[in-house]
Amino acid sequence: MPEIATETTAPVEQEQAEEPRRRRRRRRDHPDASEERSGVWYPRWYWPSFVAPGALALIFLFILPFYVVFSVAFGTVDFNNFGTAVPYYAPWWWSFNTFNTTLKQFYVGSHIYQAPLFRTFEYVIAASIICLVLGYAVAYYTARFATRYKGLILILLVSPFWISYLMRIYAWQGLLDTDGPINKILAPIGFGHTNFLEGKSITIILGLVYGYIPFMILPIYASLDRIQESLLEAGRDLGGSGAQTFWRVTLPLSRPAILAGIVIVTLPMFGDYYTNDLLGSTKTSMFGNLISQQTEATAGATRAASLVLILSVIVLVPMMYYLRETKRQVEQA
Amino acid sequence: MRHPKDISRRQFLTRAGGAAIAMPSLAAILAACTKPGSETPGGSGSALDNIPIATLDNPVTLPPTQDPIAADTPIESGPLVLYNWADYIYKKVVADFEDKFGVDVQITTFNNLEEGIQKVVNGQVTPDVFVPTPGYLRRLVAKDLLQPLQHDLIPNMSNVWPSYSNPGPYYDLGWNYSVPYTIYTWGVAYNRDRVPDDSAAQQGWEMLWNHDYAGEISLYDSYGDTIAITILRNGSLDVNTQDPQVIDAAKQAILQTINDNQARLTINGVYAKLPAGDYTVAEAWSGDIVGAQWYLPNGVGTDILGYWKPEDGKTMIGNDLLVVPTVSQNPRLAHEFINFMLDEKEGTENFTQWNGYQPPFTSIQPDTLVKDGIVPDTLTSAVVTEDMFKKDLTPYELPPEIDQLWLDAWTEIKAGA
Amino acid sequence: MSVAVTPETPARGFRGYFRNPWRKPRFLQATTIGYLLWSMLPVLIAVIFSFNEGRSRAAWQSFGLRWWTADPTDSLLHDAEIRAAMVQTFRLSILTVIIAVPLGTLFAIGIDRWHGRPARTANFTMLLSFVVPEIILGVSLYILFTSLFKNIIPLGTNAQLLGLVAYQVSYPVIIVRARLLSIGPEYEEAAMDLGSTPNQAIRRVLLPLLTPAIFASIALVFADSVDDFVTVQALSAGSTSQTLAMKIYSAARSSPTPEVNAAATMMLVTTLLVITGGVLFYKKFSKGQELGGATDFAQL
Repeated sequence: MPEIATETTAPVEQEQAEEPRRRRRRRRDHPDASEERSGVWYPRWYWPSFVAPGALALIFLFILPFYVVFSVAFGTVDFNNFGTAVPYYAPWWWSFNTFNTTLKQFYVGSHIYQAPLFRTFEYVIAASIICLVLGYAVAYYTARFATRYKGLILILLVSPFWISYLMRIYAWQGLLDTDGPINKILAPIGFGHTNFLEGKSITIILGLVYGYIPFMILPIYASLDRIQESLLEAGRDLGGSGAQTFWRVTLPLSRPAILAGIVIVTLPMFGDYYTNDLLGSTKTSMFGNLISQQTEATAGATRAASLVLILSVIVLVPMMYYLRETKRQVEQA
Repeated sequence: MRHPKDISRRQFLTRAGGAAIAMPSLAAILAACTKPGSETPGGSGSALDNIPIATLDNPVTLPPTQDPIAADTPIESGPLVLYNWADYIYKKVVADFEDKFGVDVQITTFNNLEEGIQKVVNGQVTPDVFVPTPGYLRRLVAKDLLQPLQHDLIPNMSNVWPSYSNPGPYYDLGWNYSVPYTIYTWGVAYNRDRVPDDSAAQQGWEMLWNHDYAGEISLYDSYGDTIAITILRNGSLDVNTQDPQVIDAAKQAILQTINDNQARLTINGVYAKLPAGDYTVAEAWSGDIVGAQWYLPNGVGTDILGYWKPEDGKTMIGNDLLVVPTVSQNPRLAHEFINFMLDEKEGTENFTQWNGYQPPFTSIQPDTLVKDGIVPDTLTSAVVTEDMFKKDLTPYELPPEIDQLWLDAWTEIKAGA
Repeated sequence: MSVAVTPETPARGFRGYFRNPWRKPRFLQATTIGYLLWSMLPVLIAVIFSFNEGRSRAAWQSFGLRWWTADPTDSLLHDAEIRAAMVQTFRLSILTVIIAVPLGTLFAIGIDRWHGRPARTANFTMLLSFVVPEIILGVSLYILFTSLFKNIIPLGTNAQLLGLVAYQVSYPVIIVRARLLSIGPEYEEAAMDLGSTPNQAIRRVLLPLLTPAIFASIALVFADSVDDFVTVQALSAGSTSQTLAMKIYSAARSSPTPEVNAAATMMLVTTLLVITGGVLFYKKFSKGQELGGATDFAQL
């Protein structure tokens, strides 16, 4: 950000003299403390007051519920009252029995949760890879080659955002029915009586791709769109073939967008359960299905909360990595 | 020049003020942090906590938690909230009720009873009329969630089999809290084009485990029902078993048919999918298969619908209830609705035109049901008679620890391990 | 542009196609067209099947308006429940937009200008709420509203609204923040040098510059709230708080009829009209500022 060199006016000097400690601390923290040098004076509460309403919303609707999840997961259930949850709010009452039992069901004994966990990873990774490859191809074409129809293609690419995700999966449910169009098309080849909805992995993976790929395409498109043609021509002028130019120029320049796309696509997929509800069966159940089943089950509240915590830990690692990357990019910007 | 370490007066006041605000709230938080359950028990009366689980041999009178509403309470203006299974009441009958009383009826539905109970218990749904099974009645009353019925407002109870009012059903002697809505048996519905009747009769429950029908098998997405019929299939007659091995064997059997035969867990497979040919065999309540005749595609006759039920003494029989929750905003209207559903004309219309589930009316003669064509003649086995209740198996409420065993088995099944 | 052809390798034929750096991107073109068809066709078919006279949404019988107006109990016109669901959907979405977009915009402006550790923490938490899987948020809010806030905020429309705001507030933050990164503080400083107060500077200089981003966030938040399913279902209570997404889900799991197709088509058309109206209104209102808002979303 270009810095404006302005004269320091008298009130600013006075303020700086009055609170020398505060100013020195700020200067150490921030290499580009532009507001000091700019001479514009904002009251100290000015920017925080902008942040406050949103922050309050976050505290009460994001952080507090998370703490309550801890309280329920480490609480107990009241068997005499239909198994409703009894949360223990104070940390010293927390009991880790149910959490440990739930955790053990991933790897010990009958490990009933192991298969859904592996399946979830399998589906999410497969779907993410397909999203990335297919999405990149479409974004690349739209950004670089689609001059005449670019507007139309963009509108079509953006349209899934405002068509209900459920409606799109519901549409697929109709198509994949045993008497639906897909089976009718496949009938001449001999596959006409395949039941796609009985619990096939490929149905779920393609369903996930179908639902989430628009989130991959748009960031990559935006970043590719901004790559100047001159950079690519320079690559070619310096002797690179098409493939080399792509590999060494285009791909690195679009790397932040690829990362963003992967995160926006992969992390929500881990918690997806309605795709399986609509397109699959218990044989293809995912982690999200485990959670939703326990929220409806009698006396399942502590288990549901424990599963939520476990899922949060699973997605926390990529989340942290992504947030660190974006912070670094913002600082470099 | 002020020493940098001196705090300004403003800073001091701010910090002191903050501490002053924080202290009481900290105290309040600490006070609220007593361990739940460590408060002195007292509750709403010890009589409620000690209601025993009802069985046929030990029928139970549910103590009244409050007085029923007075018979002369004025009829409220509604809207009446009905919390019911999905697709379980004829909309035209509901519309008739709306016209008769000039009120609106809002139907909220649930797909399985566990979810429904949970929403009533935590107040997510505040219905005026609720449709549970007898297995939940004791717990609902114990938690003061139901109000006693005012018998004077439900004169149509005389249309129901006398055993339901005098002395009353085993779970609710004296019908303090409930009236029966429908009666049904458990069995296997099958497509008669693909499964001949004699083959069905020979296989019985095995139809749901038959690999020939792979991909076309449906089981109910309800832990009590499916585990119970699997126990029957495995040869035991104890549908309320407390034996972990029996439960485990049932769990393994269900997993086996899901994995090898792609059995699906649905709640409406019998009427929504079987007539259309998507399923060949399905675990079914008798009412579901009778109601399936109204879901047949064009040009398909009712003779493709078949229903097999085990012989006398080996089949399960049950009924659903109409109850009025305590939180009901329109109790008088709720009573009117219950009375309306017990009306001969309306209740029969619900059954014969749409629902398929038989109400226990004295006016409904099982032999005339088939003769009059209400029940297709291929589905005679779906008709329920009163003496079946004496001979057949009744599912009871399970004690919490045993219930947990059943639920754990079901969790494993649903996780698709 | 002329084709650079060296004497040894004429750019003709199959292999020549691959050697030509300025060749037409046939694979990519085919892929893109294929993807677009794959993406749009199911929705088109679902819309078409809403006009199916028969009961099935997969086997076409004949054209008819049965599920739109004709059927006395199950058509869109006569089914009060579906209409109530549509009303509820729009009510929630519009209220969410009204609450979340200003909250998020202010938050983004504040975060961008306020340097300090609390600011970084707030920013981090906001980004966290963006990437968290929705089921985590939905279940934790459900647990919150049925235990701690049990009698303060009942489940239902209020709870659904709060849940949607919590989930959507990060959208405007990200979009506006991205735009702010390219604006910089000099415009407001110039305004204040010319004598305006900070509030005036924000209102008259910064907000107009942010209008594309704000419009983009309105559109995205609206569309995302209309479509939202996990949160509204977790926090629903009774039939009055059913939204269309919940109706589609429960119909899809039980016995779907083309009435659901018709309702979904209705939502599609309405959302399209709202967004188109917004775009046109914005274009007329802003007189030529670039509409790059949607791609700002990409600049995370």
